[in-house]
Amino acid sequence: MIEWFHPGFVYLFGAFLVPLLKGKVKQAYVLLLPAIAFVILILISKGVFGEGPFWQTSFMGYELTLGRIDPLCMVFAYIFVIASFCMFLYAIHIKEDWQHVAALLYIGSTLGVVFAGDLFTLFFFWEIMAWASLFIVWYGKTKSASGAGFRYFMVHSFGGVCLLAGVLIHLHNGGSIAFDSFTWGIGSEYLGVYLIFLAFIINAAVPPLGAWLADAYPEASVTGAVFLTAFTTKSAIYVLLRGFPGVEILIWLGAIMALYGVVFAVLENDIRRLLAYHIISQVGYMVAGVGMGVFGTAAGNMAINGATAHAFCHILYKAVLFMGMGAVIEVTGRRKLTELGGIYKYMPITFWLYMIGAFSISGFPLFNGFISKTMVVTASAMWDYSTIWLMLELASVGTFLHTGLKLPWGVWFSRDTPVCEAREPPWNMLAAMGIAAFLCTLLGVYPAILYNILPYTVHYEPYAPGHVIAMSQLLVFTFIAFWLLRGKLHGTPTITLDTDWFYRIPGKMVIRFCEGPLMATAKYMDNSLMRMAVFFRGIPPKSQTVVETRINNAFHERVPALLNFQNIYNKIKEDKVREISYNVIYILIAMILLLIFVLFGLVTKL
Amino acid sequence: MEMRVLFVLLYISIFATILAGILAMLFLHLHPHFWWEEIPVFSAVYGFVGCVFIIVASKALGHHWLQKEEDYYEKR
Repeated sequence: MIEWFHPGFVYLFGAFLVPLLKGKVKQAYVLLLPAIAFVILILISKGVFGEGPFWQTSFMGYELTLGRIDPLCMVFAYIFVIASFCMFLYAIHIKEDWQHVAALLYIGSTLGVVFAGDLFTLFFFWEIMAWASLFIVWYGKTKSASGAGFRYFMVHSFGGVCLLAGVLIHLHNGGSIAFDSFTWGIGSEYLGVYLIFLAFIINAAVPPLGAWLADAYPEASVTGAVFLTAFTTKSAIYVLLRGFPGVEILIWLGAIMALYGVVFAVLENDIRRLLAYHIISQVGYMVAGVGMGVFGTAAGNMAINGATAHAFCHILYKAVLFMGMGAVIEVTGRRKLTELGGIYKYMPITFWLYMIGAFSISGFPLFNGFISKTMVVTASAMWDYSTIWLMLELASVGTFLHTGLKLPWGVWFSRDTPVCEAREPPWNMLAAMGIAAFLCTLLGVYPAILYNILPYTVHYEPYAPGHVIAMSQLLVFTFIAFWLLRGKLHGTPTITLDTDWFYRIPGKMVIRFCEGPLMATAKYMDNSLMRMAVFFRGIPPKSQTVVETRINNAFHERVPALLNFQNIYNKIKEDKVREISYNVIYILIAMILLLIFVLFGLVTKL
Repeated sequence: MEMRVLFVLLYISIFATILAGILAMLFLHLHPHFWWEEIPVFSAVYGFVGCVFIIVASKALGHHWLQKEEDYYEKR
């Protein structure tokens, strides 16, 4: 009898068989993997393997844990596995094996993050997640996908190095390798914790560090984007819940984020980018929930339950929404609001399935957003945060306005005659949407299914009359305002500047400087040096190549010899342990800077 | 035809939600956390005003600052 099997490894190892299989067998295989992982999760829940922790090993004197089991990680593992089944069903017709491989590695590593019991394991899977998702973005296979992928990876490698540096400093300061709640405070001794926090909020797409999300996700392929919606941001919520519950700054960041996404969604013309901004907005509720999650208080438990439940529900309805808009792009080849409209009569099933997702995200009673979002809002009321409460309610209004009204109106109606031919998407896409939409409704009608697996006992009645009436009023009157102002909500053929401006424009300037003045100076110096050498050695000009070789030798062999790694190592060896770890950090920081410069170059080339 | 059904439904829901709000305030013992939750039509007003505010404020922000032509990054 095996001790335990890691559900993530089902995906990670399973990925390598995909290229060897063909046709229907391959299709069945990619659906089988989530099913196997789901069975393992059920067995874990039933206690077949015991309590854990599992798969512990020693590494450089540290105890690593690949399988830490508790209610919080089980909720996230369940939703990741369930969502992955729907997403693979949606993508089953894809012929490119490596797109499946990238998706499997992405999901497997996310589960690795979820079950990680220590910081090294966390970092290891965190990096695989970034790499695998980069390939999903690149499978969009357009010039803009390529550039967006580089920018995506630049941000995530920065986040990854922050995490590693944070972990090393944390350990150096006497912190534990175990991945549990960090001690939060003010002072230089918390530097490691701050860096870890920074890495987490980068992945959670907290502004101003969140522009990568809306930049990259809409550039992925129709099926790839669906995978991207679920894992990176929600695993970030998981690690924040694990490491930083009750950190007050998160409450404000979350509430600002919820409104930030809403504002940008008003201005957006690209249908999937509009939805991507609503991921940021919805993740804002979860981030605020994490911030209010002070251990051991009734309101704190409510907030942690709320953030967890909202992540669970969000993954389902966001999948439906991205699948719906993906279907529109699949059958029409158009992705802008200004190029769509009037195609309802061709694809009514897609429309209604999309609307279930839209009702869910807007928090309509009887749909899953209502049972989870209101928990976070109620937690803010229990803490007496009146401004936060008002901000979150306002974000609810904006969410319904865009995903529930403006987007479906613009895509399927808004014009009397259809702008183009369309049809329903392939059966597997509809089936995937159908399953996810069914789960959204099921959870809305029977919230106990979800409430029973949350980390703390739930003392909350979502269908209390006060909640239902308030939410209904809010939504009905949002509709009235939309109807009156719908003329103002047509898409415009523009893009919206986000904080990615701060690396896109200066990046171009750096490259322009390198290619222009810097190259010209280097060339001038090169030529002058060569002429001088020729003059002094009295070598006729035709032997210039010999001189060139010598100069090359000097630069490529003698100078590097001075920077010998052996010398550096010897210096490090003489120093104390303390300085070694700082050296490592300096090297890492230098590497980041180098990487950023190289990537700037690539970004602007593309 | 469909539009008429939609509007009938809309009028009914406006009426029903407002009435429910008033009745709930009169007959049910709700537990409001903030003073404004005691106003029976607060959410209705907040939904309407909030929606108008979001549209107007975002459009102003976009028009004067954030919205650029589609080839903005290519041109620079």
